[in-house]
Amino acid sequence: MDIHQVLKEATKAIESCNSQQQLQDVKVAYLGKKGKITGLLKLLKDFTLEEKKSKGAEINSIKAEVEVSIEKKLSVLKNQEINSRLSKEFLDISFPPLSQVEAKVHPISKTFDEVISIFGSMGYSVAEGPDIETDFYNFTALNIPEDHPAREMQDTFYIEDKDENGLPMVLRTHTSPVQIRTMINQKPPIKIIAPGRTYRCDSDSTHSPMFHQVEGLFINESANMSDLKGTLIEFCKKFFEVHNLKVRFRPSYFPFTEPSAEMDIAYSITNNELRIGEGDKWLEILGCGMVNPIVLENCKIDSSVFQGFAFGVGLDRITMLKHGLKDIRAFFSGNINWTSKSGFGLGDY
Amino acid sequence: MKFTYQWLLQHLETDISPEQIGDALTNLGLELESFSDYSSYSNFVVATIVDFKKHPNADRLNICQVDNGGKKQFQVICGAPNVKKGLKGIFATDGMYIPGSDITLKKGKIRGEISEGMMLSERELNLSDDHEGIIEISKDYSNGTDAVTALGLNDPIFEIGITPNRGDCLGVRGIARDLAAKDIGKLKPLNFKKIDELQFESPIKWSIAEDDNNCDYVVSRFFKDVSNLKSPEWLQQRLISIGLRPINALVDITNYITIDLGRPLHVFDADKIGNSLTMNLATDKDKILALDNKEYHLDASTTVIADQNKPLAIAGVIGGLESGCTETTKNVFLEVALFDPSKVAKTGRKLGINSDARYRFERGLDKAMVEEGLEYATFLINQICGGTVSKNISAGNIKIDKIEIPYDFSFFKKIIGIDLSKEDQANILNKLFFKVEDMNDKNCVVVVPSWRNDIRQPIDLIEEIIRVFGYDNIKVTTPNATSEELIIVKSSLNNKKNKVIKKLKKSLIANNYNEIITFSFHSSDAHRFLEGDKSLMLTNGISEEHAFMRNSMLYNHLEALESNRKKGNKNLNIFEVGPIYHTSNFQENILFGISSRLDFLNKKTPLPEYSFYSLTTEVSTFLKTLNFDIKQFNISRSQSNHYHPGQSAELHMGKKMIARYGKVHPLILENFPKLSNTYCFEIYFENLPIDTMARKSNIKIQESDFQYSEKDFSFIFAKDQNLYEVYRFLTGIDKKLIRQVEFFDEYLSPDIGDDNKSITFKITIQSIDKTLDEKDLEQIHQNIINKITDKFQAKLRS
Repeated sequence: MDIHQVLKEATKAIESCNSQQQLQDVKVAYLGKKGKITGLLKLLKDFTLEEKKSKGAEINSIKAEVEVSIEKKLSVLKNQEINSRLSKEFLDISFPPLSQVEAKVHPISKTFDEVISIFGSMGYSVAEGPDIETDFYNFTALNIPEDHPAREMQDTFYIEDKDENGLPMVLRTHTSPVQIRTMINQKPPIKIIAPGRTYRCDSDSTHSPMFHQVEGLFINESANMSDLKGTLIEFCKKFFEVHNLKVRFRPSYFPFTEPSAEMDIAYSITNNELRIGEGDKWLEILGCGMVNPIVLENCKIDSSVFQGFAFGVGLDRITMLKHGLKDIRAFFSGNINWTSKSGFGLGDY
Repeated sequence: MKFTYQWLLQHLETDISPEQIGDALTNLGLELESFSDYSSYSNFVVATIVDFKKHPNADRLNICQVDNGGKKQFQVICGAPNVKKGLKGIFATDGMYIPGSDITLKKGKIRGEISEGMMLSERELNLSDDHEGIIEISKDYSNGTDAVTALGLNDPIFEIGITPNRGDCLGVRGIARDLAAKDIGKLKPLNFKKIDELQFESPIKWSIAEDDNNCDYVVSRFFKDVSNLKSPEWLQQRLISIGLRPINALVDITNYITIDLGRPLHVFDADKIGNSLTMNLATDKDKILALDNKEYHLDASTTVIADQNKPLAIAGVIGGLESGCTETTKNVFLEVALFDPSKVAKTGRKLGINSDARYRFERGLDKAMVEEGLEYATFLINQICGGTVSKNISAGNIKIDKIEIPYDFSFFKKIIGIDLSKEDQANILNKLFFKVEDMNDKNCVVVVPSWRNDIRQPIDLIEEIIRVFGYDNIKVTTPNATSEELIIVKSSLNNKKNKVIKKLKKSLIANNYNEIITFSFHSSDAHRFLEGDKSLMLTNGISEEHAFMRNSMLYNHLEALESNRKKGNKNLNIFEVGPIYHTSNFQENILFGISSRLDFLNKKTPLPEYSFYSLTTEVSTFLKTLNFDIKQFNISRSQSNHYHPGQSAELHMGKKMIARYGKVHPLILENFPKLSNTYCFEIYFENLPIDTMARKSNIKIQESDFQYSEKDFSFIFAKDQNLYEVYRFLTGIDKKLIRQVEFFDEYLSPDIGDDNKSITFKITIQSIDKTLDEKDLEQIHQNIINKITDKFQAKLRS
């Protein structure tokens, strides 16, 4: 038998295989126990040693050649089969996903977080108090006696329930009662901020019956008005992220501070865009002042030893300014379209 | 408080520009709220509508022929309802800028007809909000006269905010006095002549009743044979410029002095009142028709001015209509009094009357100014209305306490943080008319002027000094945080609570919940449905929507969901962190979340159906962010009627509720037709051990590389068996070997008994020391079976 003829046949058979099974059959037909090449090797035993050597080498090389061909063919066939299967698994990659809006936190949450963190780095810890207050904490202790015109500076919500003095409970009109609560319960030094909800019966495009404030209070033996100015400028720079912030302090009146001041920051409008920190227009940002000795005494703190300052910032207002939000009513509309437009996602909160 | 530049100059000698005066006012604490300078309006001119006809294409428009005094007439299309032939108004031609509407006029056609200009309304000139019609002015002005002249706009108007402590600046004179202290000018003496020849005794007498009325002193004069006509032009112009309507000379004079000196006073028509007046308390039968044309019912808390028959005026608040002065008034009784500020405030508030008089009385008047007011009014009445003047008739006494404040000059630096010499401090006080007495190196005694009722303690003097010295001169020093303060911040319970809140919020948005903030209120409906406490009603809520304080966030959020759904949002998950109120003394701050999902149209990416169990998974995830395993809490069915009784749960830690969640009760949902399949949860994070939980380290499970084994068990339990208990028991059987317990199936069938359930769980067993062999495992399995069977009367299901 011509061994080259066998190689030719085998190569042809391998080539013509269309599946792994066929190839396996060919493999058996040539390399199996009863295969043709195996058969040739078996015939060698009848040859002389010399012939065995030469023929044997020849047959083995042909065997190796066939084995390589089968391997090659096998990998070709495997690829063909996988590709053919994958070609049936093609998906419409352009099918759009669910239109989902990214869930976000309310811009006020972001502001709360920033305010707590900025003042935290300045040594102010967070204090809190209830929304429903007594007349004493919201007014009297803050040197706003009954029938004082200052009470009319703030339109107060009253609750049916009465306090222990028979006076109607109020919704706190500012976060300042937290000052009183803290000073009554704690000895100086005191360094706190108190962010929270506040209420006034006022509702139009620029007022909401509920809004947010943060109160600040620093009492020790020496905190003075220069420190107050520095503290608030520092806060505004960090909050508004403006290094050269133009500010103005002007005299004002709050019964619980003396001297009292309001702080304005400069702004300009160019191309309909509000720029904070420069320009020749002024925006009122906060009220502040040195804590009135009467208030300290109301809290049993010796005003001949201790002094300090307090401030109150409208959080909704500074949030609107920082992020260019126009309508405070949208803050409390519960509209998630607004939240997703104006809020902050995981990456920014 | 409004006044004009010229009016100010009547009291202040200065050459400083109105703009700079505006800045000075703000720097003094008299905040400039608006400054209106119309002197640039001289381009607008007087013009007459000489003829008009209907616009052929628009019912409401007229085609007017306008004469502005120039060579040609202009055609103007005008929609004002008060267009008429001969009307004189203010005209602008094309090319001119209209400040009130922020446009520049262009010649063009309106509905096909050419318009060459505009007749202006007050709003278009920014003079007021009036846009009802075009301005009509007196025929005395000839066409072409500039608007500044015709409308009397040559005097810039200041409007300033006066804080409640500065009653002394509720008169132009007081403002001038403050400006003078800041070297803005020199205060002029009051310019009037005292009437010396007081000729007769007043036929009307005064008495002050000895009841609890609020009058200390009253003084009057009787004017005989006056003629009460229109006020002179200067007086009318003063009043008009600040938005007051001239009425007649006597009324105008009292209004003028109220604004000019900040001293309210009153004039009665002497022929309409009795001859014996008293200040006394009203009775609850009394009523009065006041100058505002409203009738007020009085009571014994109100001081009135009464004659023998009835109340004539509410003291310090408002006069009566019937006893008021009109053009026919011949004899006048002028009244100048001192009333108690807080009682005037109380009366005014009770009756809801905001008058210029009340505003000034309740802020405290200059007691020493009674005389000045009386003389000034006498002078003006006599000059304008003629007649003869009686001698004074008075009752009560003026008690002016001399207020002296001992003052230590070093206090200034201690409070403000900057140096200011004692001479400079004293100088500023002097300029404000404080007297500085007994001055030595350190101290002095400061005598407060009679008009400064707000100055009572040394700190008040500091404020005066720095106010005039200038807040701009205060240094800027920033106290650094001490390390002690930073440690307090870090360990503060409230700071930790805010961290907990932030973690929760992050977890919520990561799970696709959007944050909203709703009002802390409940509508009347919500209050009724959710059974809040009655004592939480607002006595002065602004609407039905804000009638109560909320005792739950459920209703507000259902409303929010409903309104979002109406905007087309299908998949709705929202949350809020905020307060709820159980009583006026018990507020809890909680996290509330709610979810209402509709099936998606998108069949390619279907979401699994949302159920109580999906909610459980979410709540578990949120608690996980705070390092809590939901199965560690005591779980029980929720008793709240806000929830589906069979699909809601409460988690407790000891007695404190940590969370509550489940399907919203269908009866509540009935009010919200767009919502179905709605689930909510509440996390009472304030009940968590916030102070200690940050420190609590997670129970660290030691990693093991040895082979693990899993084994499934099915047990038949009583149907109401709490599986969290089973879980806790299982993990406790062998803490070293039992690595994980996962419940994954429940089977109910009559075969196992209707009161039973079959529960399947997988237990993962792994040792840290070795690979467990068959025998070891067998032993562990048997132990589990024995213990579970024992503890829960359960049966292994083969």
